[in-house]
Amino acid sequence: MTRPDRTTQHLLLLLLGVAVLLVAGTDRYLDYVQAGFRPLLLGAGVVVTGLGLTGLLRDRAGRAGGHEHPGPAVGWLLAAPVAVVLVVAPPALGAWSAGRQAAAPLEVPAAPSSVGIGPDDAGADHRTMTLFVYHVWSQAPEPSALEGRRVRLVGFVSARAAGGWYVTRFDINCCAADATAIRVAVPGGGEEFAPDEWVEVIGTSTPPLVDPAVGYPEPAIDAESVRAVPAPAEPYE
Amino acid sequence: MTQLRLPVDEPAGRSGLRSTDLLAAVVALLVVLHFAAPGLFDAPVVLAWSTVFVAVCLQALPFLVLGVALSAAISTLVPASFFTRALPRRPALAVPVAGVAGVVLPGCECASVPVAGSLVRRGVPPAAALAFLLAAPAINPVVLVATAVAFPGQPEMVAARFAASLGVALVMGWLWTLVGRTEWFRLARPAPSAPGAGRAAVFRDAMQHDLVHAGGFLVVGGAAAATLGVLVPRSWLEQVAAQPVLAVLVLAALAVVLAICSEADAFVAASLTSFSLTARLVFLVVGPAVDVKLIALQAGTFGRGFALRFAPATLVVAVGVAVLVGEVLL
Repeated sequence: MTRPDRTTQHLLLLLLGVAVLLVAGTDRYLDYVQAGFRPLLLGAGVVVTGLGLTGLLRDRAGRAGGHEHPGPAVGWLLAAPVAVVLVVAPPALGAWSAGRQAAAPLEVPAAPSSVGIGPDDAGADHRTMTLFVYHVWSQAPEPSALEGRRVRLVGFVSARAAGGWYVTRFDINCCAADATAIRVAVPGGGEEFAPDEWVEVIGTSTPPLVDPAVGYPEPAIDAESVRAVPAPAEPYE
Repeated sequence: MTQLRLPVDEPAGRSGLRSTDLLAAVVALLVVLHFAAPGLFDAPVVLAWSTVFVAVCLQALPFLVLGVALSAAISTLVPASFFTRALPRRPALAVPVAGVAGVVLPGCECASVPVAGSLVRRGVPPAAALAFLLAAPAINPVVLVATAVAFPGQPEMVAARFAASLGVALVMGWLWTLVGRTEWFRLARPAPSAPGAGRAAVFRDAMQHDLVHAGGFLVVGGAAAATLGVLVPRSWLEQVAAQPVLAVLVLAALAVVLAICSEADAFVAASLTSFSLTARLVFLVVGPAVDVKLIALQAGTFGRGFALRFAPATLVVAVGVAVLVGEVLL
């Protein structure tokens, strides 16, 4: 195996740094890591790019060591993430990954406080909630603060064995490797929406459903209107 | 500078193929694939794998850069005499000092591996460097705060994590003073620098050397984590959660294969609600000490012979200490 020589190492670092800057410079980084990571990624991208560039410049100026030390062969692998980012350009996790996560129901922190779910959105007759917050409220003790309220949820469609589909969103804390799927059943969801399609669901809360396919209560919504929406820049909650 | 055995240099370019040509060919292939076959890689499993792979690499990279910068600073800017003065002479006493010193490195495991490597190169007793390696990613303030946030109202979980992880670091450090051998190390070569190069150039070369090396192994680990994460459906976890012993073993195995950053693993542990707190503590203690990404990084920094001995021993100690602490505190 040819080991990467000095110039190749500079170029590998340059490629990696530029790839990181490309991903972090646009909204693409949101498909992989949490929003707060951007400064760290930009910083790392600048340092790695700078290392590659200064190496190339110094060697051009003839200030490198006289004897050649090839780098470790494993260094070639720095090209792998660059290749995946450029060639595969993977999108955020979607319905396929959600379907493989049929694990336990989410743990609901403490019982939500008594402030209620808050006022309707300005100029609308519904309240926009994240799927996670909806999840929490739907498991609150009676009488539920969701009762009599219209709620707007945004997520992608994923398959549901017991009819209809789930409006789904992944919750991440650091990166996509720790993603947990959050699903709200839309039992009346129509066939016209395909998995991975992003939808806005407006409806009223129904008590959690216990369906035989999953065996534990899962939050559900009685949809009044469903329409396709463009995928948000920040696909995770 | 160090008495440890260093790998022998192989002559460059034996095969006659210049590595810059190879790189040009790889880049050309990528460009062709990018434009010629945009639909070649759109099977769901390929996309999911790629997303997790890129995610692991991206989120680890800033910490790895921080780690190699610190490590280059230790190798080039901090005089070796500093460590001999700062640490107790006897390794058995240096171990707890180095372990507690792990509190100050606010990063995840990717940062601590290159730092520990440069500590060993600087003449710090390996037992102390290894205690630092294991303690730093688990007991720094960022990780402890994340754990407190993930387990609201359960401060005992934070205390248990701190105690168990520090315990693992100390036990492994002392174990090394008893049975460890420096022949197992195959330390990555210090960066070659031109004679008479300035301090900045030496720093730059040291950083590039560590980054190319550790970065390559990070990619190995990221690929392993993505592969296992995609292959192992989380649904089968449910069936084992009710059996205490099996639950502990399964979560230990999960911590190894998922390779989640130590700053995020508490949230994943919190979501594994069907498991006992002790089993989840095992997950939190094993993850920062042994996982596939870390094994790859350690193999790169300290050599394969070291990683093959150290990782299994750490796994056993981590499970044992975590179960013990869990029984007492949780």
